[in-house]
Amino acid sequence: MRRAPQLRVGLVPALLTAALAALASLAPVAAVVPGCAAAGSNHAPLVVEHANGSVVTRCVAFDSGSISGEELLNRSGVAWSGQTFGGFGAAVCALDAEPARYASCPGQDHYWAVFVSRGGGTWQLANIGISALTLADGDAEGFRYVPSAGTPSAPVAPGVCSLPAAAATAHAGATAAATIGAPAGVTGRESPALGVAGVAAVANAPSRPSDDSPGSGSGLDLGLLAAAVAGVGLAGLALLRLFAMRVRPR
Amino acid sequence: MSSQPGLAPRAWLAWSLAAVTVALSTTNPIYRGLVALAALNVLLTWLPPGRRVRPLALAVVLAAAFAALVNVLASHTGADVIVRLPSDWPLVGGPLTVESLAFGGALGLGLVAALLAVAPLSLVLEPHDVVDAMPGALERTGIAVATSLNLVGGLGRTFTAVRDAQRMRGWRPRGIRSGNEVLVPVVLTAIEDSVLLAEAMEARGFGAGRRTSYARSSWGKWESAVVAGALGSAVLFIVIRLLGAPVDWYPYPTLAWPPIHPALVAGCLALALPAFVPRRPSGRPTPGGAD
Repeated sequence: MRRAPQLRVGLVPALLTAALAALASLAPVAAVVPGCAAAGSNHAPLVVEHANGSVVTRCVAFDSGSISGEELLNRSGVAWSGQTFGGFGAAVCALDAEPARYASCPGQDHYWAVFVSRGGGTWQLANIGISALTLADGDAEGFRYVPSAGTPSAPVAPGVCSLPAAAATAHAGATAAATIGAPAGVTGRESPALGVAGVAAVANAPSRPSDDSPGSGSGLDLGLLAAAVAGVGLAGLALLRLFAMRVRPR
Repeated sequence: MSSQPGLAPRAWLAWSLAAVTVALSTTNPIYRGLVALAALNVLLTWLPPGRRVRPLALAVVLAAAFAALVNVLASHTGADVIVRLPSDWPLVGGPLTVESLAFGGALGLGLVAALLAVAPLSLVLEPHDVVDAMPGALERTGIAVATSLNLVGGLGRTFTAVRDAQRMRGWRPRGIRSGNEVLVPVVLTAIEDSVLLAEAMEARGFGAGRRTSYARSSWGKWESAVVAGALGSAVLFIVIRLLGAPVDWYPYPTLAWPPIHPALVAGCLALALPAFVPRRPSGRPTPGGAD
């Protein structure tokens, strides 16, 4: 019985931490208009497709192994504002001045659908907020302003923003997130060329099988497999116990 | 003494708190479903003879169905429309979508998991076990709550007895006013019972000092394992959320498969540990002093 107070003491900080985390997640996201991002060894393209079909693209560099979708947007220099929805994370309400004003987020008629592309694969709709979205080198983040009704269409295909080997040495210290945006009115389904620090590094995305969901790696989904085995095992055990209770009432 | 040769009441309380925390800390239906299945296994393992699980199952199913229904009627977000109700209908007017139905189902599953997680506190433990499990600071509050809950059951029994007695005297229910002939005696009896209970508790020294127990509940390695597993599971969910990994699931705007983290699946499985705890040989409890 002496261990119980220790366990109780351990529970209180955990609950306090959870309460503080919940409060922190309710804080509104302020409008962000960052400057150009610093150079980095990893890169991820950003594609923004407006309702009128105009496309803006950026290539964002980062040094860490991964970057959140929100941080990538901040470093891209594209102006945006958003709102945090509890555990969902930050949602984009206005991006690159569309809509110019909004009374509700997400909007009644249109909203910014968020997509993610893993390793140059096809766009997948992200069902989590951009603050919860994690992107690695070669992944891409896409936004498209779509009508509220119906399945949202994906934006133009993401390009690949990688540096040629010859330019790699000159890359350090250069300004990333260089503007590689397409002029307004681009209607093609391929994104314009992407580059970093003015280096014209253009390559189309290789054709790869799409991932099952945003955030998942390619190949066998270990989480899904574990959940299936655990669920079937627990359900089978519960049925066996129910059967035993019926056959041999206690 | 505990009525069941099983886990110590404090282990049950810690397990229930952790399971409820996990169930309500995520909107992911996979994790919620796993917590519900783990709690169901634990409940079926330790359900004492004579206790029925059917009323709980009925309540759980009704609560889940109600949550799903309310969400699908009140939330009109989502891309895939099932049916479109006239927009001039208050609250429910507008498109009813597959996505809102799915999210309502996830909400219902959360309720199911939470109810099954706290069910052992009422179905496996006796009220005095729950009071014993309370931390010292909450002991008197726990007694007050347990006593109040006991009075609810007593109120139902009194209502049945008074109603039957009035019927034998020729009373028949005729509208709301005739209900007074049953309700007034029931309320008076409840007040009288409360006064009697308070006098009985005072006669037994309630409030004079710390509560004592006939038997000291033993704390062994299984209790430690169950509490460590349950609290570890709750902490794992909180830490992974703080690290920024997706723990929640939202089906809007279009339905998508929830993200699943293998470590969180393992955390849910840890909650099923009480279902594998061997029963201690039953016997007379060890007499002990103040607990």
